[in-house]
Amino acid sequence: MAGRVIVITSGKGGVGKTTTSANIGTALAKAGYKVVLIDTDLGLRNLDLLLGLENRIVYTIVDVIEERCKLRQALVKDKKNPNLSLLAAAQTRDKSAVNAEQLKEICDTLKEENDFVLIDCPAGIEQGFQNAVAGATEAIVVTTPEMSAIRDADRIIGLLEAKEEIKSYKLLLNRVRPSLIKSNDMMSVDDVVEILSCPLIGIIPEDTGIITSTNKGEPIVNDEDALAGKAYRNVAQRILGEEVPFLDLDEPKGFMAKIKNAFAKLKAKV
Amino acid sequence: MEKVLAENGFIIDLSDAKNTTQLVFELSSIMEHPEVKGKNVRLKLGNLDLKQSQLLSIKALIESMDATLAFIDTKSEQTEASAVSLGIIVSEVTDEPAIVCSSDADIKEESVMVKTEPHSESEPEEGKTVEVHAEELTGPIETAHDVEDVYDEETTKELSEIIPSEHFEADFESLAANEGLIKPEETSKYILLDTGDVLPVDAEENSINTETLPTLYINQTLRSGQTVSYDGNILIIGDAHPGSEIVAGGDITVWGILGGIAHAGSQGNVTSKVRALKLNAIQLRIAGLYARRNDTLNVPYVQKTNEFTPEEAQIEDGKIVIYKKLRRD
Ligand SMILES: Nc1ncnc2c1ncn2[C@@H]1O[C@H](COP(=O)(O)OP(=O)(O)O)[C@@H](O)[C@H]1O
Ligand SMILES: [Mg+2]
Repeated sequence: MAGRVIVITSGKGGVGKTTTSANIGTALAKAGYKVVLIDTDLGLRNLDLLLGLENRIVYTIVDVIEERCKLRQALVKDKKNPNLSLLAAAQTRDKSAVNAEQLKEICDTLKEENDFVLIDCPAGIEQGFQNAVAGATEAIVVTTPEMSAIRDADRIIGLLEAKEEIKSYKLLLNRVRPSLIKSNDMMSVDDVVEILSCPLIGIIPEDTGIITSTNKGEPIVNDEDALAGKAYRNVAQRILGEEVPFLDLDEPKGFMAKIKNAFAKLKAKV
Repeated sequence: MEKVLAENGFIIDLSDAKNTTQLVFELSSIMEHPEVKGKNVRLKLGNLDLKQSQLLSIKALIESMDATLAFIDTKSEQTEASAVSLGIIVSEVTDEPAIVCSSDADIKEESVMVKTEPHSESEPEEGKTVEVHAEELTGPIETAHDVEDVYDEETTKELSEIIPSEHFEADFESLAANEGLIKPEETSKYILLDTGDVLPVDAEENSINTETLPTLYINQTLRSGQTVSYDGNILIIGDAHPGSEIVAGGDITVWGILGGIAHAGSQGNVTSKVRALKLNAIQLRIAGLYARRNDTLNVPYVQKTNEFTPEEAQIEDGKIVIYKKLRRD
């Protein structure tokens, strides 16, 4: 078996790379695929928190590289889904503790036994980014509908295009607020796609549920009712090659509209 | 002076404390008592010699509970000098019965004994006088219970009510003899991780007395990503935030909140202990044993200092157990 190695990157910090990694990883594992998540944000690791796994981490990627343990020992199994495991970043070390070659080797080993290896990339375009991208053949570029994030995403896409190993890259637009788009206070999805001229793999709405899910260590894809959860499940399906229409993120206004919306969703499921 | 005290006074009698460690732990459990909040504390310190820095820490501890250290009774010249230098009023110790003052500004001669056990039957009623004696705080604060998975304050409370009250009267000396009474509640708070061989290859299991090891003092907050490692004991005066790591050849003591990873006996010393005013470590490691914090344990984002409950972790029968009470043996 040779699994797919996908890096989740953005250039800018705080746009949702870690949230996206945790959610897509969980969704793919729930769909029955074997998934390993790698946190490459050394010194600023978060992925373990989002998954609620911090208390289980004994060894990190640096321990693997410095041969204090076997790769297998460092993989922390998810609490709920045995298909999902995490290779944590070291919190007490910095990016210079690993290099691109070592990361590529780890990815190559992991993809032998897994369907997906997802890499949560640190912000920036320096060593951390170079390390994270080294083992990947696909990329998801996360951005928000803000000029600064888009500018950074553009820079990242340029760097990815220059990498031979990266065969495909897709755009994930996060924290979209339809009401703001309507009032012309936020760039529309089309605008962003147009600016970046990059195929879209998902649109994730701004959702306060993400904050609570982060604090609980429980990815929002596990929440059947959350819109952002649904959006992430759709991303996972698109990664698997299915054609799923993009969600209508329009927030229903009144009570009747909500009911109508619920019916529409039911129909869509059938 | 009694007039001043009568305003909002609270007497804490720690004159039986044998050393500063005992004093601090005694004091911090008394300070948990909601009754202390906002009070002018009169501290009875007996013969204990306290340096200015030590007294300053004690003052800070009291102030962190929104109380004021107003008076000190001491027989020690050193403590007196320290108090004077800090601007705390010192009064001579008299053998008269203590005049205990309550919030309703009444001076009463009688006093109601209050224990710091959460299940204390004699909860102070509004307006009643309160006096706390150190010797009564030596009983187990939390008692054994059989809850396997959930660290549940409520259950602890209920079960402990069943335990006869004389068990709480045990004084410090007889504690060791009564050891059986102080049961750990380890199963609920920390769960052993099965990680196999986690010690460095050159480490060998040993039982060196940690009291003989040198101690590294660190007077600062450890933040996420920071590591301290030392061959001897480590004493942190401050908090160790989640994401930090403390690795000691001997004991680890955190005078504050321990939120990160703590590894005591990192070279295989199985007698090493981890203790903290608030033991929230995401992982506890002692010698070759690693334990993770129970997922069901709800640690608040912000820990209130009045919820401090000093705890101590050590190895027993191949497990890491937590005591709500520091033991002398
Ligand atoms: N769709 C969303 N709705 C609301 N908050 C979000 C959303 N996506 C991310 N966030 C929040 O944004 C912050 C940064 O997200 P994170 O995934 O850590 O970004 P990165 O890994 O790119 O630095 C987090 O506090 C997260 O909860
Ligand atoms: Mg991140």
